[in-house]
Amino acid sequence: MSKKRTTILILLVFCLGLTLAGCPKKTVVKEEPSAAARREEAARMEAERAREAREREAREREAREREAREREAREREKAKEELEKSLIAKKTPGIEGTVYESTLLKTIHFDFDKYDIRPGDAEILKENAAVLKKYPNLKIQIEGHCDERGTEAYNLALGERRATSTKNYLISLGISPDRITTISYGEERPLDPGHNEEAWAKNRRAQFVIIAK
Amino acid sequence: MLRSFLPIITLFIILFLLIIPAKARVYLDINAPSFVQLPIVLPKWKSLGKTPPSLSAKVYEILSNDLLLSGFFRVVDYSKLPPLLREKEGIPDPLLISEWIHSGGEMLMVGDVSLEPNTLQVILRYHLVDLIEQKRLVGKQIEGHVQNLRYLVHRISDEVIFQLTGEHGMNTTKLAYVMRQGESKEIFIADFDGANVKQVTKNQSINLSPAWSPDGKKIIFTSYLKRNPDLYVMELHKEGTHRLSFQPGLNASPSWSPDGKKLAIMLSREGKSEIAIIDSNGTNPRFLTKGHGNESSPSWSPDGQWIAFCSDRSGSPQIYVMDTNGSNLRRLTYEGNYNTSPSWSPKGNRIAFCGRVGGEFHIFTIEADGSGLRKLTSNSGHNESPCWSPDGRYIAFSSTRTGSSKIYIMNANGFNQRPLTPSKGGESSPTWSPRF
Repeated sequence: MSKKRTTILILLVFCLGLTLAGCPKKTVVKEEPSAAARREEAARMEAERAREAREREAREREAREREAREREAREREKAKEELEKSLIAKKTPGIEGTVYESTLLKTIHFDFDKYDIRPGDAEILKENAAVLKKYPNLKIQIEGHCDERGTEAYNLALGERRATSTKNYLISLGISPDRITTISYGEERPLDPGHNEEAWAKNRRAQFVIIAK
Repeated sequence: MLRSFLPIITLFIILFLLIIPAKARVYLDINAPSFVQLPIVLPKWKSLGKTPPSLSAKVYEILSNDLLLSGFFRVVDYSKLPPLLREKEGIPDPLLISEWIHSGGEMLMVGDVSLEPNTLQVILRYHLVDLIEQKRLVGKQIEGHVQNLRYLVHRISDEVIFQLTGEHGMNTTKLAYVMRQGESKEIFIADFDGANVKQVTKNQSINLSPAWSPDGKKIIFTSYLKRNPDLYVMELHKEGTHRLSFQPGLNASPSWSPDGKKLAIMLSREGKSEIAIIDSNGTNPRFLTKGHGNESSPSWSPDGQWIAFCSDRSGSPQIYVMDTNGSNLRRLTYEGNYNTSPSWSPKGNRIAFCGRVGGEFHIFTIEADGSGLRKLTSNSGHNESPCWSPDGRYIAFSSTRTGSSKIYIMNANGFNQRPLTPSKGGESSPTWSPRF
């Protein structure tokens, strides 16, 4: 009897074992929808991460841009300060208005009785054009000057031509003609009052003054 | 400025003794390239009655200087006369011509002055005598307010010059010119003899190229008042100036047409100086040149048909002539590589200009057909901006021969160069008035 019970028990256990062994089969069937959800979840999370990344990127970009803007503003401010620092207000008795001379705009020089731009002076004009591009609000007047030799009237014509050829060179470098006026002072405004070649060379010039900033 | 000078003058001339009738004999051909100065004996003038002796001394000084400045005379001053004649003064009565024959001159001029104390009118009487032909040429009397003494004496000098040269003198003319005043340049006026220097602009600006109107009433000039070289007109008997031509760029170097109705000027077009004609009220600009070069210094011919000007179209500044439409262009100067500032003689035959020789600038004249080039200055320094007297017998110009630039006057043949005023310098751009 005891042996019979034991056998039954074993069988039972076996059956139970079989039953239990059949259980995972049932679970597998149940688990199929749950995997799709997980993929969905994963995708959602992926999207979330991407969104976060995009947002972060946008924030960073914005920060970079803000920083750039601030840097630009600082640079503009610095440039403005630099310009302001370079200016010397010039008011001449008997001549209407105040103009500004700037150390940023360099004077160019000419040969005797000539008005063509010499190669070295062309380089100076390129630098002056860069300054005018950096400060798009500047309006300038180019003054044409001569040395004391020769006739007053002829020198007025020559000074006019020096101012005009300087203006045309700046226009060729992309500066708008609306920003440039010219005036000839002939031999009336020497920089150096001397009566020698050194003084004359200094006085034959096109000089820049700022009339609006 | 002239207000106190011309209109209030009450002047009349009485011919009380005229030996030579209307047409005067010409003793001096002053248009010849060279001539010998005529020696004129000038005894002391006399103050009649209670007239202060200083008045006749003043008259003598002005008269003697006028005759000297004309360049036509060698004045034999009373102090240079033989002892007996040295003491004589006034108009001798009777006037014994034989007494004066050995006085060292070919002409004799004697005179006296009397002042009416209540009206302050002066009467100036004079006689002019030809000592070679031993005859009186003229005896005249001129009367006016003592305030205008200089002008009255200038009228007498003018008459003497007319009697002996066939043309009136320039003693009643004036010159306007530019004078540097620190950083600015102002316009001044002086009499032909350098007296009565007056500043007529006081705007502290750069004022340039004055041009006296043919009627003597206006001066046109360029000023930078509005930060552009604009043309302004100043009425000499009124206060103030007004702006006449103000195109952007040059409005400069005006020259009046002989009828006073138009101006030839330097006017900018596309940043280049051109020659243009405008009406004398500043309107209606017409360009005569078309961008061939830098054009400057227009000067109208006395017949109104031509304009001389300077252009660098050939590569260097030279003198050209064109008609008033800009046609019939011809080049006048070929010598030298820097000839500027033409000025057409009122006589029409010659054009004065400034040319460079070596490193110096000198005054030249040339016939209107380009022949007969003559150099008139030879002193060191720069000589510039020639302009003619209204009779074409003198040229005023600026010169740096003694340092700072001063206005000089010379005879049209280059003789008798002398500074206009005793100023320290800084003078330029003379323009001559008509006779007043």
